[in-house]
Amino acid sequence: MLVTLVVASALAGRLRLSAIPIFIVAGILLGPSPGFPEVVSPSEGTELLARLGIVLLLFFLGLEFSLDRLTAARRMVVVGGAIDLVVNAGLGLLVGVLLLGPSPEAVLLAGLIYISSSGIVTRALFDLRRLADDETDLVLGVLVFEDLAIALFLGIAAALATGEAVGGLEIAGTAGLALGFVIACLLLGRWAHHVFDRIGPRLDREQLLLGALAVAIGGGALGEAAGLSEAVGALLAGILLSGSEVRDQIEQQLLGLRDFAAAIFFFAFGLEVDLSEADDAGLWLAAAVPVAVIGKLVAGFVAGRANGFSPRQSVNVGAALVARGEFTIILAGLAAGGAALDAEFRGLVAPFAGLFVLVTAVAGVVLMRESRRIGRLAFPPRAVRRESRR
Amino acid sequence: MLEVRETRLPGVGTKFTLRTSRGDKVSSVVHMDGLREIYHYPEGDEEPHVITLNDEEARQLGAIIGGVVYRPQLVKDLEVALKDLVMEWIELPATSPLVGLTVATCRIRSSTGATIVAILRESGSLATPHPDEVLRADDTLVVIGRPATFEEIRRLVAEGPPD
Repeated sequence: MLVTLVVASALAGRLRLSAIPIFIVAGILLGPSPGFPEVVSPSEGTELLARLGIVLLLFFLGLEFSLDRLTAARRMVVVGGAIDLVVNAGLGLLVGVLLLGPSPEAVLLAGLIYISSSGIVTRALFDLRRLADDETDLVLGVLVFEDLAIALFLGIAAALATGEAVGGLEIAGTAGLALGFVIACLLLGRWAHHVFDRIGPRLDREQLLLGALAVAIGGGALGEAAGLSEAVGALLAGILLSGSEVRDQIEQQLLGLRDFAAAIFFFAFGLEVDLSEADDAGLWLAAAVPVAVIGKLVAGFVAGRANGFSPRQSVNVGAALVARGEFTIILAGLAAGGAALDAEFRGLVAPFAGLFVLVTAVAGVVLMRESRRIGRLAFPPRAVRRESRR
Repeated sequence: MLEVRETRLPGVGTKFTLRTSRGDKVSSVVHMDGLREIYHYPEGDEEPHVITLNDEEARQLGAIIGGVVYRPQLVKDLEVALKDLVMEWIELPATSPLVGLTVATCRIRSSTGATIVAILRESGSLATPHPDEVLRADDTLVVIGRPATFEEIRRLVAEGPPD
């Protein structure tokens, strides 16, 4: 299995794609899907590592979640993020309701469709040498806003995954609780970092590593016990530590472990995907993919224009937001295990999410690569003579 | 003071952007993991030129650009400030009337107050040269004195000692 992951990662490097879709494909191909040889079967071991992967992924997300970051480019984050939320979560909800009727499942599907992949987008911005472009500030700002929205959707997913039979009020309650906890942790972290700053420097490397792992996994366990799912718990644990000075050390210590666990997570997710169900997921894909691509292009363009960027720059913003990834997979993983959800939905959500990420990630990276050319075609030089030189 | 715009790039690092006096837009992205990138944007929306450096390379290049490793100076105008005294390197062209005179007879010290502390030449440099040392073409005189006297020394080099 590990050899597969190394090969997949090398292949991703060759294709200049993020490794995430490749890991999923590897999982699908080598897993128990019909039509392919079953090389690796899902086991307790892979499941444990996959769960560790989710916990560490969200713990790291939480670590990055400081108030400073949220307030760094406030206007861009709020304006860009709000446009993106309204357009894409709205369109996602529309698709969900059309396919499934007004239901909790439709809301979850909206979350799956809405949230772009910070991992894939950031990686592609680096690979395509766009990091210093002016409009990249906006792209990253929108991703920060989405991180906040993740807490909300995780709350919804948690309510669905753990509840017996849930009504809309209960879901809203759990989602609100999750968001409340996020804000509480942000504020608490601002105060609590004094404590961590005092303890942190006294720990040696091993103690720090084990301590951080204990906090992450402990947070996950607490979250699950509180009915918020381990993903939310790990996110909260990360947020709690995000304001402290030990954050950088923790990130350095755990980075390798996280990458390892994340690779296993995406691979294990691929193993779970049963392609024999894909026929039915095809309808969802046919509805969701165009909406997802066009929605992000439009929202990015509008957000770009609203923030004073030129039409061509705004095209770049939209293209950069198309790729979906880790979060769609995490939500789908939660949804597939959601006891209170419709059984048919649970069976379909994993193959749908896997293929959806695959298609949008590839489309997103290709669009990003070509976005300058597209921008020039759509807005020929004559039309952009007064292009702002920021 | 040059205006440098600093922007946080969430999840990536920090970006520094400046516009040079020639109008070039240059951005440097410092990644959280120590990687540095230098972007140069040509006019219009062409692809930027990018240099990617790891931490060590970036420090090395930074030291070079910062003048730590080598400070660019034209030999003629080389000056080292020593409190209120200045050390200067003065080239002696073959056409100078001082060529062929001794340190004593070129009268730099007696007419300006500045002292020749060394003569740099290909065949071997001399520290604190003897007054009878004969100056040659293409020598570089290392002279120490008050800044105001250097105009006069240049005149001596060009026109020869006063009668």
